[in-house]
Formats: sequence, structure tokens, C-alpha cells
Amino acid sequence: MARRSRGSAAETNAEDDVNLTPMLDVVFILLIFFIVTAVFIKMPGPEINRQQVDNLEATKPLAILIAVDENSDIWIANENVDIEEVGFKIKEMREENSLGELVLQIDESAEAGKMIDLLEIVAQEDGTQISRISTNPRS
Amino acid sequence: MRGRNAREPEVAIVDLTSMLYVVFILLIFFIVTSIFIQEETLGMEGPPPPSPQQNQDPVPAIVVRVTEDNLIRVNGRLTDISGVRANMERLRAENPSSALIIQAHPRAPSGTIIRVRDQAYNANMERVNVIRDAD
Repeated sequence: MARRSRGSAAETNAEDDVNLTPMLDVVFILLIFFIVTAVFIKMPGPEINRQQVDNLEATKPLAILIAVDENSDIWIANENVDIEEVGFKIKEMREENSLGELVLQIDESAEAGKMIDLLEIVAQEDGTQISRISTNPRS
Repeated sequence: MRGRNAREPEVAIVDLTSMLYVVFILLIFFIVTSIFIQEETLGMEGPPPPSPQQNQDPVPAIVVRVTEDNLIRVNGRLTDISGVRANMERLRAENPSSALIIQAHPRAPSGTIIRVRDQAYNANMERVNVIRDAD
């Protein structure tokens, strides 16, 4: 009330008194919404040379990224992981994020045997027949 | 400045502008991270789960073998990556119900397998599986 009376008293610069509170409420609600829905993705670590292909689709939201580097080592969340531990790691990360996509980042010179092992493990753990392999668009 | 001139103690005059800046920056950060993190991916099917009956199903299959030294054979015929699609389509025309099997040597480069799978998408092949070749 005191504010309103002062505003009418000094009419020349009434813009100083724009009430930001409702806007702040809205912005806070948006902020909380995006924080709650935000998922922090653990990057695998190594630099991957992705194969260039014609048939790719944008995959999101992401949940788990598993990389296989050029030496066919498997990386999850900046850690070098043994092939036997991958299934356990997937289970562990699925507890935090059960909805997002699992994407394999396979280096183009990695051994195909490792890739097929991973395809089998992902099919077993996630129950999906089709795995997503990260690729680049053909230039 | 006018807030200070008011003599009575007032709570409502707290300046919210700088807080609004911080909140806006956080908001934009979370919007950006939630929208722009994505990957371009290609779908790939692994080996089929072992079926209870062990006898081979009678469906004819197109077999693309990728050897250790990166040679590609479509049903035994040596070809290179640009000829894979034409070979697949020819064999499918002979036998429209064919499934496609990509048989990869464990030490073949993954990039070649991914490209063969990509060519299979181009040729609209159905029932594709990637399996492991024996050493």
C-alpha cells in the first residue's frame, strides 16, 4: 500500500516501480521444472571417430553412453570397464535413469567382436532388440 | 534510492533485479542442456536370442561376410562397400522373403559393419541381424 501511494506521488519515473514478483514466480517455476527434468549424462571419455552413414536419426533423451575406442577398450563415465562388468554398470545406471536412450559410441576401427558382445549385453539388459550406434551424417 | 528515503521499515522494497538475472541464467542453462544434448544414431540388431529349437529355420538368408582384412562377401561373392546394396537387392529379388545376416569376423573393423547395416537400410532390408563369425 505504501508503494502505491509513493508511485502516484512521483509519476514522472513510475517505471522504477515495475513489480517483478509475479514474473519471478513464473521464472522460478520454470527453473524448478527444468532442474527436475534435467538429467546429467555421464560422458564416456575417449574421442571416437564415428562412422559416416546415410540413415541416422536424432536420439534423445539420452541416459547411458558406452564408448568403444580404437583399441577396443570399453569406456563408461570416464572409466575403462571390462566387458564382464558392462551389464552390471548398465543396471546401476538404469536405477538413476530408467527412461532415456542407451547409445553406443563405437570407433570405426574398433573390433566388431566387441561391438557384437555389447549388442548382446544391451539386448539382454535393456530388453531391446535394436541398439543405437552413434554415427555422423555423411558429408 | 527512493526506497531508502522511506522512513518506515519496509520489507517489500528488496531489489529483486540481480536475483532475477541469476535465476534467468540458471533457467537458460537448464533449457539449453535439456534440449540440445542428443546423438545421431543408427539402429543395429545384435545376434538373435537363442531359440528353443536348435534346427535351422528354413528361411533363405542373404549372408554378408566381413572378414578380418575388411573384405566383404555377399553370399560368397567378393564385393566392396559400394556394391553391397546392389548385391543385396539382386539376391532379394530372387528370393523376396530373405532375411539378411551380417556375419562379422571378431577382428573386422566396426565401421565396415556399420556401413553394411547402413546400406541395408538404404535397400530397405527387413530382418537384419549382425552375428559373430567363427575365428
